[in-house]
Amino acid sequence: MVGLSLGEQTFIKGGIDQDLRTDGRKRLTYRPIFVETGIIPQASGSARVKLGATDVIASVKAELGKPNPSYPDKGKVSIYVDCSPTAEPSFEGRGGEELSTELSSALERCLLGGKSGAGAGIDLSSLCIVRGKVCWDLYIDGLVVSSDGNVLDALGAAIKAALSDTAIPKVQVSANAPSDEQPEVDVSDEEFLQFDTSGVPVIVTLTKVGGHYIVDATTEEESQMSSAVSVSINRLGRICGLTKRGGAGLHPTVILDMISAAKHVSEQLMNKLDSEIAAAEACDEMES
Amino acid sequence: MEFVNPEGLRLDGRRPMEMRQLRAEIGVVSKADGSAVFEMGNTKVIAAVYGPREVQNRSQQSNDQALVRCEYSMANFSTGDRMRKPKGDRRSTEISMVIRQTMEACILTHLMPRSQIDIFVQVLQADGGTRSACINAATLALADAGIPMTDIVTSCSAGFLNGTPLLDLNYVEDSAGGPDVTVGILPKLDKVTLLQMDSKLQMETFETVMQLATEGCKAVASYIREVLLENTKQLESRRGV
Amino acid sequence: MAGKLGAAAATYSPSTGQRRKRPTIQTGSELARPDGRGLHQCRPAFLKTGAVNSASGSAYAEFGNTKVIVSVFGPRESKKAMMYSNAGRLNCNVSYTTFASPVRGQTPETKDLSSMLHKALEGAIILKSFPKTTVDVFALVLESGGSDLPVITSCASLALADAGIMLYDIVASVSVSCIGKNLLIDPVSEEEVHQDGALMITCMPSRNEVTQMTVTGEWSTTKINEAMQLCLDACSKLGKIMRSCLKEAASAPQD
Repeated sequence: MVGLSLGEQTFIKGGIDQDLRTDGRKRLTYRPIFVETGIIPQASGSARVKLGATDVIASVKAELGKPNPSYPDKGKVSIYVDCSPTAEPSFEGRGGEELSTELSSALERCLLGGKSGAGAGIDLSSLCIVRGKVCWDLYIDGLVVSSDGNVLDALGAAIKAALSDTAIPKVQVSANAPSDEQPEVDVSDEEFLQFDTSGVPVIVTLTKVGGHYIVDATTEEESQMSSAVSVSINRLGRICGLTKRGGAGLHPTVILDMISAAKHVSEQLMNKLDSEIAAAEACDEMES
Repeated sequence: MEFVNPEGLRLDGRRPMEMRQLRAEIGVVSKADGSAVFEMGNTKVIAAVYGPREVQNRSQQSNDQALVRCEYSMANFSTGDRMRKPKGDRRSTEISMVIRQTMEACILTHLMPRSQIDIFVQVLQADGGTRSACINAATLALADAGIPMTDIVTSCSAGFLNGTPLLDLNYVEDSAGGPDVTVGILPKLDKVTLLQMDSKLQMETFETVMQLATEGCKAVASYIREVLLENTKQLESRRGV
Repeated sequence: MAGKLGAAAATYSPSTGQRRKRPTIQTGSELARPDGRGLHQCRPAFLKTGAVNSASGSAYAEFGNTKVIVSVFGPRESKKAMMYSNAGRLNCNVSYTTFASPVRGQTPETKDLSSMLHKALEGAIILKSFPKTTVDVFALVLESGGSDLPVITSCASLALADAGIMLYDIVASVSVSCIGKNLLIDPVSEEEVHQDGALMITCMPSRNEVTQMTVTGEWSTTKINEAMQLCLDACSKLGKIMRSCLKEAASAPQD
């Protein structure tokens, strides 16, 4: 919880009205974003994203599993987010659980597309090894280490970075296995496949404070919000998911207006993020 | 299984009495009052300290000393096999308690009556010796938060495999089932505050193994002091003193 | 559409116990819906308040095969451990019966429904009107037949109104599925399984305010526009039916 005096509240709101926020940013400017990849060697891919004082880690682990009978030619992806009490003492024990589930389902909605897998950031059919028998299960874990607002956008960026860092082992399937049995697979430890992450969307959260909306709100600004809309947008400018947070109602035209603003912001964010990820990966390769 | 080869090298290429690479960084969680990352080889732990602050649960408030609380949690991706464990399982409850008791012993709690200090440790990667790494990280975070302590606490573990005492066990050595002695000391006062051992060990060998672990603690202590000194120097230069 | 809905609500008879076949979905351009509806036609709705006697307010909703019962308790004193608060609290809980889905006990992702319901209702309730107290909303899905959350939300708002909780407006909710090029309003389970994308809107019809909105799958802006219009239109019609249901309950002789 943030305790703000009336004066501070007016200061924040007044600044937003005049397009000059407390940290000197404009309404639609992000804080500097910092990406580090390959920080968890045990995972198939991992990344850490810092957005101001918000600090999150995402890791991707690939395990062999069985496809869902309804979609025999698709792999499975699941997203879990954990809020560490290091970020906020109130997350102690089960305190962070509510936020964790909210973030997990918001991320699943924004990144995994519809039930049939259409519009997903990750091509699920590329995870299938043997139709109906063997596929890759991707477990994406997010950890909020430090939170200063806009955790969802940071997690979305971290997952994107972690996916582009992910290397999935090449798999050989023994051809002579009988068709009704579980086929034997040979997982290579040398050859790896990289993911095509160009389709993974970025998440832009627009927070409505007073009559205006801002991107990348800090905790103080979030405490003053009436509602927020998180939109995930891919490189083609198409909307891949949307979630509304906060109780207050919004007029439908305002939502459409926010979507078009988010679209505009997402282009810059996407380019910035891509160059940061490329820089982080180059730096990672230099070290190893 | 052979844990020490005839040339006297361990599985990860260390000598029996060699520690893993240490790395520490102070002030990683900007919103906390004090925080630190501590790495021992592949084991990586973040600790954050909040407090001293008002006691949240009034019934736990005490009028002559501060309330010290601790929570230990492991990230889902911290172990080799992905796990999805509910929070507050028996192991983490036990480690939370061990860390709390160890830290409580060195904090000058009587100076901060009616207040509460929260220590949160988060394991990012587990490769043996998480207990020790957590205590070392917590010490650094407490020091960063400026909480008065009698001395820093440092911890290190040692084991005994293939008839050789081994310092700072990694995960493979730890899960071999041999004895695992975790020691925590107050280096300046030369006192032991934590001593835990799994499995059995002969009296004579126990003494050598414990001696080895204590030596490890001292090495950690000198490193932690260096880090703290460096941090203080940086703070000093930032202030322009 | 409203005419059909209204007629169904007025002369309701329990659906005949026909065995359901597993309909197949073709994703061609000419899409036939499993229950023979038009693409932009909602399922017949049946709404009734006062389903649970012990609750302060309750409602039962049946949209096709989706059957939901919601009971509202309170406002009653908040738990002692809670801090003083000027505004009232809302507590929502959604659960499924074990026989709600075709496979026993296999309930769809329920973990997040409670918080979704909370967010959808929060904006419509005048929380300031009952300080220091809590209102509990318990939703039980008797049978899950698709579009569960919209039905739960609409039914919960009716139950809140029945309990006499002050609301800015009633809350109506409708979802749209996108299969191929087609937009299907108020999808059933079979359609939800095959959907490429979904859009759900919860709104307060008379105030024309959206309290909750979720989108999954890939959408272009024009398509979102179209789907939103479709949902909002259906919401306002559903709102009218809910209103008439409340009026009917109020004018009925008290016994």
